Amino acid sequence: MPDPTEKRPMSTSDTPARDLLKQKEEFLKSLGIGTRLSEEMLAEYEHLVERLRVLESENAQLRAAVETNQAVRELLAKIERLEREKEDLVHQFRAVEASSSGFSERFQEIESELGNLANLLVASRQLHASLSPRSVMRRVKEVLAQLVGAERYAIYFVNGDKSALVPIASEGLTGEELANCPTGSGTLGEVFSSGRSLIADEGDPSHGTLANPPAVLPLTVDEKTVGVIAVYSTLAQKTRFDTVDYELFNLLGTQAAWALVSATLFAAAEHRLPGLEAFVDLSV
Amino acid sequence: MAEFSCLIVEDSPMMRQLLVFALARVKNLRVTEADDGVDGLRKLASARYDIIVTDINMPIMDGLKLVKRVRSDPLHKDTPIVIITTEGSQEDRQRALQLGANAYITKPIQAPQVIATVKELLKIP
Repeated sequence: MPDPTEKRPMSTSDTPARDLLKQKEEFLKSLGIGTRLSEEMLAEYEHLVERLRVLESENAQLRAAVETNQAVRELLAKIERLEREKEDLVHQFRAVEASSSGFSERFQEIESELGNLANLLVASRQLHASLSPRSVMRRVKEVLAQLVGAERYAIYFVNGDKSALVPIASEGLTGEELANCPTGSGTLGEVFSSGRSLIADEGDPSHGTLANPPAVLPLTVDEKTVGVIAVYSTLAQKTRFDTVDYELFNLLGTQAAWALVSATLFAAAEHRLPGLEAFVDLSV
Repeated sequence: MAEFSCLIVEDSPMMRQLLVFALARVKNLRVTEADDGVDGLRKLASARYDIIVTDINMPIMDGLKLVKRVRSDPLHKDTPIVIITTEGSQEDRQRALQLGANAYITKPIQAPQVIATVKELLKIP
């Protein structure tokens, strides 16, 4: 029996044909090319996958950025709208504030006017609240001191022949400072003769002097001047005359002398009220 | 609305009348008048007041004595007191404030100032 391990000599038929070898080489060559191409394609694929991932990432970022920009735009638009609303509100607030300030100023003016009217009403009532000459004079002095704020002042009446003004009451002045004043000259005489008040609009009345009184006003009865009131200086805090002071001066000028004359006549009549017969012929 | 009461202590009828006119502008404020310090104390003994407005220079009992007496009275020791003075009497003013007065007004008085001072002390808007 032949040994199976024994190499058998190659016969001619066992030798591959030359064509087959060539084909084999071509096949192997083609296989190598295919393998290389496959490897290249795989690498390209991987590169494309990576590129796609990057692009998707960039796309996501861009989307997020776009969304963010939109939100920012909306916020900016909202801020702009709110700014406009704020400006409108500020404008309205200022208008209301100005209006309120106007009302407040007007209210204070009215309050001040009411206060002035109260002063005038009280002064008028007080001047005619008594039929005693001494009491009337005290009230005239009180109006001057308490309402006008006069510190040094004198009240003069004209004498019988109308040549001199004689002091009948005063405050803050010494006896030496009080003297008769001629009706034809000087500040007091000038006011007496003209019947017009002389009130210093400028300057501090608290610094007034005997030679330069800040206020001199005529005292009238039945449109005749019968005397003057001279304010020589006011209290330290009274540094100017206000509107109400002019009104008080006017009131004193027209009412004080009347009140004094009436009280004096009543005293002269021994405080007897006139009887009915005194009024019967008064009907009009 | 709460009602407040005010006692005016002033010997001059004219000034009293002026203060009454001024304080009539304060809503819900009832005003009582006294001729001098003694009259004022008499009225304080019979009623409670939310504020006292008093002159300093008065006969019988002046404003300083009144302030002192009011502050020693348990019933009125916390009652606000406004004093009325002249600019020259700075010592009196200082003395009154030391004794317990809460505010002062100088003559010649102006109604708006009186109203503002009383309203501030009574906390009336």
